[in-house]
Amino acid sequence: MMLSRAARPALKAGSAAAVRPSTVNATAAANYATLREIEGRLKSIRNIEKITKTMKIVASTKLTRAQKAMTESRTYGQTSNTVFEKAETKPMEAEGKKDLIIVCSSDKGLCGGIHSGLSRKVRKTLAESPDTELVILGEKCKAQLGRSNSRNTVLSFAGIGKDVPTFSDAIAIADQISLLPGDYSSVKILYNKFLNAQTYEPTFVEAYSEEAIANSPNYASFEIDDEVLANLREYALANSLFWALAEGHACEQSARRNAMDNASKNAGDMINKFQILFNRTRQAVITGELVEIITGAAASEEG
Amino acid sequence: MAFAWKAAGLTYNRYLAIAARVVRRSLKEEQRLQAERRGESDLRFAKWENGKQGELKNLAAANEAAFAESAGKEGQ
Repeated sequence: MMLSRAARPALKAGSAAAVRPSTVNATAAANYATLREIEGRLKSIRNIEKITKTMKIVASTKLTRAQKAMTESRTYGQTSNTVFEKAETKPMEAEGKKDLIIVCSSDKGLCGGIHSGLSRKVRKTLAESPDTELVILGEKCKAQLGRSNSRNTVLSFAGIGKDVPTFSDAIAIADQISLLPGDYSSVKILYNKFLNAQTYEPTFVEAYSEEAIANSPNYASFEIDDEVLANLREYALANSLFWALAEGHACEQSARRNAMDNASKNAGDMINKFQILFNRTRQAVITGELVEIITGAAASEEG
Repeated sequence: MAFAWKAAGLTYNRYLAIAARVVRRSLKEEQRLQAERRGESDLRFAKWENGKQGELKNLAAANEAAFAESAGKEGQ
C-alpha cells in the first residue's frame, strides 16, 4: 500500500510525458523506462536541431551568392525592359487568344510557403481566365498545380534550383517555350519578387508578343526592322526569364534560411521543456526509492 | 537583312548560346574552367497533354534535335 502511494507522483510525471497508458499502473521499475523514453526523445530533438542549424548555415552562405546573382540579373531584366518602357508597349488585348503564364518555382522544398504562394496566385488568375495555359519551372509547383490544374499545363521543367540559375538555363527554356505551338496574346512570367530578407511577393512580369511590340506607340523611334523583331522578342523573353529565375532563387534561399531558423528555435524550446520534465521525473523516482527504503527499514525495526 | 544562322534554323537565343560557348572555350585554362560552369545546364522537361505529364526529356538534347529538324526543313 505504502509503495503504490509513494510511486504515485512519479507515475503522474510519467503520464505527463505522454507515455502509453498501460505504464500508468506499472510499478517503480516502469519509471526508469519513462525516464529512458524522455531521454530518447531529448536526444532525437537535439539531433534535429543540429540538422536544422546546419541547413540554416548552408542556406545563409548560399543566400549571399544568390543575392549577388539576383542584383546582377536584375540589371539584365531591367535594361531589357527599358526598351519596352520607352516604346510604351502595352500587352495586347486580343480576343480568342490564350494567355500563357510561366511559373518560376524550383525543385526543392523546406523553405516555407514560397512555392504555395506562387501556386495560389496562379489558381486565382486561372479562376478569372480559365483558358490560360501554364509552363511550370520546378518540381514543387508542378506537384501542386499538376494536381489541380493539370489540364492547363503545357510544359514543365525540372532540375531548377540546384545552383544559381545561369543564362544558358534561361536560353534553353526560352527556346523550348518559343517552340510551343500555341499563339498567345500575352506571356507573363510569375516569380517571387525579393522585397527584403523577410518578405517576398508573387509578381508578374510581362513578356510581350511581336504584335504588342509592333503596336506600341513609340515603336517608330527605335527603327527596328521587322526581321529582327522576332529576335528582340526571344532575347527579351530569355532576359526576363533569367531575371525571374535568379530573383526566385534568392527568395527561396532567404525563405529557407528563415524556415530553418524558426525550426531551430522551436527545437530549442522543446529541448528546454523536455530537459525540465526529465529532471523532475528523475527527482520523483529518487524520492520514491528513498521513501521505499525508509518505510522498509521502519517496518523491519518494528518487527 | 538576312542572317546565316536564321537560314540554318537557329533562333536568336540559340545563336547567342553558341557564340557564348565559343568565347568560353577560347578563354585561358583557369578562367575557362570557371566560365564553363556557367554554361552548363542539365534541365529536364516534359510536355503535357490533356492533363497528363509526358516523358521527361533532357532539355539540351531536345533543343538540338528541334533545331536540326527545322534546319532540315529550311534546306529543302
